Amino acid sequence: MAIRDDFEVVASQVRTVVQRFALGLLVIASFGAMLVGKADTVLVEHARVLALDLASPVLEAIARPVAAANRTIADLKEFASLREENARLREENARLLAWQTAARRLENENERMRGLANFREGPEASFITARIVGDSVSAYVRGALLNVGRKAGVASGQAVVTGEGLAGRIAEVGEHSARVLFVTDVNSRLPVLIERTRERAILAGDNSPQLRLTLLQSVAGVQRGDRIVTSGHGGSFPVGIPIGEVVETGEGSVRVRPFADFSRLEFVRVVDYGVTGLVGGTPAGPAAPPAGIRIR
Amino acid sequence: MRADGLLAMLDRWGRWALPGAVLLFFVLLTLAPLRAPYLSGALPLLPALVVFQFSLATPERLPGPLLLTMGILLDLLLGGPGAPVGVSALGFVLIRAAVVNNRRYLVGVPFLFQWFGFCLLALGFVILVWFFTALWTWTAIDPVPALMQYAVVISIYPLLAPLLARVRARDPLNVPDESRGTARPGETTS
Repeated sequence: MAIRDDFEVVASQVRTVVQRFALGLLVIASFGAMLVGKADTVLVEHARVLALDLASPVLEAIARPVAAANRTIADLKEFASLREENARLREENARLLAWQTAARRLENENERMRGLANFREGPEASFITARIVGDSVSAYVRGALLNVGRKAGVASGQAVVTGEGLAGRIAEVGEHSARVLFVTDVNSRLPVLIERTRERAILAGDNSPQLRLTLLQSVAGVQRGDRIVTSGHGGSFPVGIPIGEVVETGEGSVRVRPFADFSRLEFVRVVDYGVTGLVGGTPAGPAAPPAGIRIR
Repeated sequence: MRADGLLAMLDRWGRWALPGAVLLFFVLLTLAPLRAPYLSGALPLLPALVVFQFSLATPERLPGPLLLTMGILLDLLLGGPGAPVGVSALGFVLIRAAVVNNRRYLVGVPFLFQWFGFCLLALGFVILVWFFTALWTWTAIDPVPALMQYAVVISIYPLLAPLLARVRARDPLNVPDESRGTARPGETTS
């Protein structure tokens, strides 16, 4: 009996050791994954894209009913304020018609001027419409997953816009899925112009709902309500996509509120500008990029 | 007889696969565009809640390698550029180990004790992820959103935990020997 007891004691000790060892192994494996991710970013990128491609059909199945429910709730809310909404829209319509007249006149004038100056237009942009099938929003990331990928012509670095303005840029592309990094993400840096003064600046996200304008030559020239648009520098974005407006000018820091409403995004458009500059990818567009942007 | 055997087999398989499947569902749900204020921000922490709750009841059905895979999948799906891949895996594995090693304080005790245990472990998880993300991207990340997530997820716990707890066997002690804690009903300290 004593031998048997001893055996059981040893066996249980061995089991405990193995269990401890198992935990250690698992911890080492997770650290290993983190280190590999740090060392070999390309491998991790491939793994991310693979995971996205596998998950996107499931997410799309989840996203549709969720979107329908969200829309119903929004509809009900709007129903309550139908009358005021109608009046507001009529007023806005009248104002926009006036703008349309002005725009037509300016467009004609512009065309004639361009003809006179022999100006060569930048590449034409085309759009790919995509449904947002997943949010990748956490305490550390601001982004979303789209249901279009390389097959549809999406490439890394392309601009993603909503009706209101710029939402972000494509960060990763799979065969049938892509990940957008919103302008509010901490990794987002955009070359921009202040529309009124034509001054260049960099617009940076910091994971908060507002954006930060940095690298300004002079903060003094910026006023509240100034519109911020893409500058087209770097070549991957078209010029003049509206991003947001200045809401706060303080000591050395200018805050910008993005036009795009990230809490209500359902469909977005990916802008295929034909030129993907510094961010990589093959330029599939016209032979002549706009003056000053020489790729490669 | 045959149908009975088949059903029994399906039942057994279902029992074994359920915790993993629920965890996978919550990992995918992390990405669902729910758009509910606060709630959608807290989604990334729900898998940790699931890991905690199932480690209480049936840790043998959530083996370490599975947690490793799920954690890495979560990081791959959710992570932005430069974020560490595997930090959630590390957190899951540590949560499971902490629960298994402290079963006597967590199994067969009043619900408030379990909640308190979850609060502690989830805080550890949030700090771990925050620390490694800050280290890996080498930026001072604002900890406030992470703490908001934490606050939401510990408030959701009482709603979700009883639901998940139904997955385990009826009697808290009616589980295989290797996963049974040393605690008896009503016992809270050693």
